[in-house]
Amino acid sequence: MDSLSKILSPIVFFVWVVLLVLNFLDHDLGASVWYGVLVLNCFYFLFFALYQNMVGYILKRLMGSLLTIWVIASVTFLLLRVLPGGPFDSEKALPDEVKAAIEAKYHLNDPLPKQYLTYLKGLLHGDLGESYKYLGRSITDIVKESFPASIQLGVFSLVLAYLLGIPIGVIAARFHNRWVDHILMAFAIGSVSVPSFLVAPILILVFCFWLQWLEPALWQGPSYYILPTLVLGTRSAAVIARLTRASVLEVIRSDFIRTGRAKGLSETKILFKHVLRNSLIPVLTFSGPLVAGIITGSFVVEQIFAIPGIGKHMVLSVSNRDYPLILGTTLLFSVLLVACNLIVDLLYAVVDPRIKVP
Amino acid sequence: MKNVGAFFTIFWFTLVFALGGCTKKNLKTDFDLLVSETLRINLQQEPPSLDWNKSTDLTSSVITNNIMEGLVDYNLEDPELGLSPGLALEWKADPLGKVWTFKLRSGVVWSDGVKFEAQQVVDGWERLLNPATASEYAYFLYAIKNAKKFHNGELKNFSEVGVQVLPDGNLRVELEYSMSYFPSLLTHHSTFPIRKDLIVKFGDRWTEANHMVVLGPYKLKIWNHDQAIVMERNEFYYGEKAKIKYVLCYMINELTTAINLFDSGKLDLQNGLPTREIKTWRQRKEYVEHGLLTIFYYGFNIKKAPFNNLKVRQAFASAIDRKQITDMLAGGQTPLLSWVPPGMMGYNSQVGIKFNPDNARRLLDEAGFKDRSLFPKVKLAFNTNEDQQRIAENIQAQIKKNLSIEMELVNEEWKVYLTHLRNDTPSIYRLGWTADYPDPDNFMNLMAGFSDNNHTGWKDKAFDELITQAAGTLDKNKRLKLYDKAQKILTEEATPVIPLYSGVSQSLVAPRVKGLVHNGLSRFVFKKVRLE
Repeated sequence: MDSLSKILSPIVFFVWVVLLVLNFLDHDLGASVWYGVLVLNCFYFLFFALYQNMVGYILKRLMGSLLTIWVIASVTFLLLRVLPGGPFDSEKALPDEVKAAIEAKYHLNDPLPKQYLTYLKGLLHGDLGESYKYLGRSITDIVKESFPASIQLGVFSLVLAYLLGIPIGVIAARFHNRWVDHILMAFAIGSVSVPSFLVAPILILVFCFWLQWLEPALWQGPSYYILPTLVLGTRSAAVIARLTRASVLEVIRSDFIRTGRAKGLSETKILFKHVLRNSLIPVLTFSGPLVAGIITGSFVVEQIFAIPGIGKHMVLSVSNRDYPLILGTTLLFSVLLVACNLIVDLLYAVVDPRIKVP
Repeated sequence: MKNVGAFFTIFWFTLVFALGGCTKKNLKTDFDLLVSETLRINLQQEPPSLDWNKSTDLTSSVITNNIMEGLVDYNLEDPELGLSPGLALEWKADPLGKVWTFKLRSGVVWSDGVKFEAQQVVDGWERLLNPATASEYAYFLYAIKNAKKFHNGELKNFSEVGVQVLPDGNLRVELEYSMSYFPSLLTHHSTFPIRKDLIVKFGDRWTEANHMVVLGPYKLKIWNHDQAIVMERNEFYYGEKAKIKYVLCYMINELTTAINLFDSGKLDLQNGLPTREIKTWRQRKEYVEHGLLTIFYYGFNIKKAPFNNLKVRQAFASAIDRKQITDMLAGGQTPLLSWVPPGMMGYNSQVGIKFNPDNARRLLDEAGFKDRSLFPKVKLAFNTNEDQQRIAENIQAQIKKNLSIEMELVNEEWKVYLTHLRNDTPSIYRLGWTADYPDPDNFMNLMAGFSDNNHTGWKDKAFDELITQAAGTLDKNKRLKLYDKAQKILTEEATPVIPLYSGVSQSLVAPRVKGLVHNGLSRFVFKKVRLE
């Protein structure tokens, strides 16, 4: 079993890297490839779960997740009805007859419990309803059309965040309290505290107008991807760097590291093989919400770079009082958050053999 | 952990590789269209609906007005936006203005080659009025005999509604009451003809690019939701064919982003500019501005003290210098004392209470507030918006300076604000109005006692009679006189509202775009536009 895992893991890893690179270079892979990879991944996870004896635990967690999502769906539904102003309120008042026809069409005149039941029933059938703002478009369509761009931007930014954040954290810890550490941490604090609506225009000015290397907005190819990825990715990179640094500093002082040193292992080997692996727990904990948050789109970055992602719908659906779309985006975010947290909990066992998940 | 190192190498290699491949050829735009035959504009948002019976917003109308045409069209070159023939060649009314006949153009075909017929107009109106359609603009045709009854379900049979196809293929419309501006309504997209067969076939998806069939100078080629729309010249169009082959419409919400694209040569037209930096934009050679048929005003709740007192309202109206506001906005807006905006028939700069602080103070004294400390604390309400904030602060300062009265500013999110406006109107509130069609009735109607848009609580029989009479008067001069009278009542004698200024459309237009006519309705029609 153990050797099989050792063969499988690099394969899955390698497939993802290749896909990512191809996607970044804007090769259209087609849906079937993505589904194939997802199935491969599910098998991998299943294998992993069986191997670790975690199937029961996962099932229990999934039941809990369903409950969480039901609560979120219900609370959101109720809160929306409390919110003043309706979806069809506009500057120009509508005659009563028109209002009545609209309410009848969207079942807004039904008693609240009935509306709630209809909504739950739809949810169980995977039907999120139709947008009130974008007439005739189903919520599923809207999510299908806008989510891919957000996932793309999110994944690029996440890769950048981990690739920058973890090494920076380790290096800073390695040179603790020396100038390298100070510079790296100043960079980290800087990128967390300077808002993206300030960084973005500066980068646009430099790379699009002075150097003319990249495109200032839209989402149509590698030259469009780089700036938004930088803006979104460096912020998370900074948080990851700080978390990694703190945790590496803690681990580096522990007994087993001293033993390693005494055995004569090289400092690099100690750092990357023994310290890093044991320092990843806080980073992993942070990763659940981070992945869910970044993948569901950053409103600000998507606005600044005119990226057709879902972040816009998350925010604007509220000011439009587009009830089905608000519910749809909220549920999407909750499902992702719950899923990411579950995966993180499972990954604890991978990173730290001392943790037994169930 | 050699993997980490390998992954790193791949990542940086990719980045460098990608950067290297970034030299974009600028001859082509997205979707592989040639820049030389594509007009690139920004719609600012995804059009909520291209179903012209249902759509209610300006974004969607930019598309529908280019892919469709109504029975009647505007002469966009006419500053007063007079009517010109569209799908109807000519029209006439009986002497009362109650029965209208429209002679339809012959030989017109849809973009799929099907013949255009009067029945398709009737189908469109039936669909608009059908309660199941739930169109917000259904009331547009309430003037037609029995239309309202059909819409609220009292009548089930559409054949009883006053519209019929005559044996010669023309259209006869019978109205409930006289209406001199009925043809104006037919310029509006909600009244355009439809292809019932396609709507039955495709349901709500009939507006997707591969299903939609149209009559206008352009047709829908691509609609990538939330990204872009491409319109292509319609070779079946009955009139002179469009000069530019494609119109590429982006949906960029952030103004500065759109301007960045304009500056990097990727956009030819950006309508709407950040108001804060408008002084900078006005100095650019690509800048174009045009007065809009839009008014901005403050209204009083005349049911509540102290504004139930006419003299107090008049005092406030004459204590506000409109020019100060337009100077502050600095974007070409026109100060407004009367109700109908400049550029529309009925505008009269002589009507309205002029700025006169001495008179204002005298009026307030006469109203019983010689001792200003007696004046109750009033709230000025507006919706959360940077421009509205600036205007409200300016008015607050002017009232304090000229009348020595302190006002409290209250702002609320748009839909919350609208709810309050309707249920519990604030003492002073701000609102605006944009013309649906360029007829003064569209503005005067707003303040009628029977109007749902009149939140002031003010009702005046004489005013209502004047505007009803004017609406049915065919003689233009007689109409104007009636509107002058009505505006005098509204702005001077009763003063439930203080008109502030009329709006302006501000655009950046690339020098290669020629022949674009700007107009008061912000109606962008591209059929005559050329690229150089």
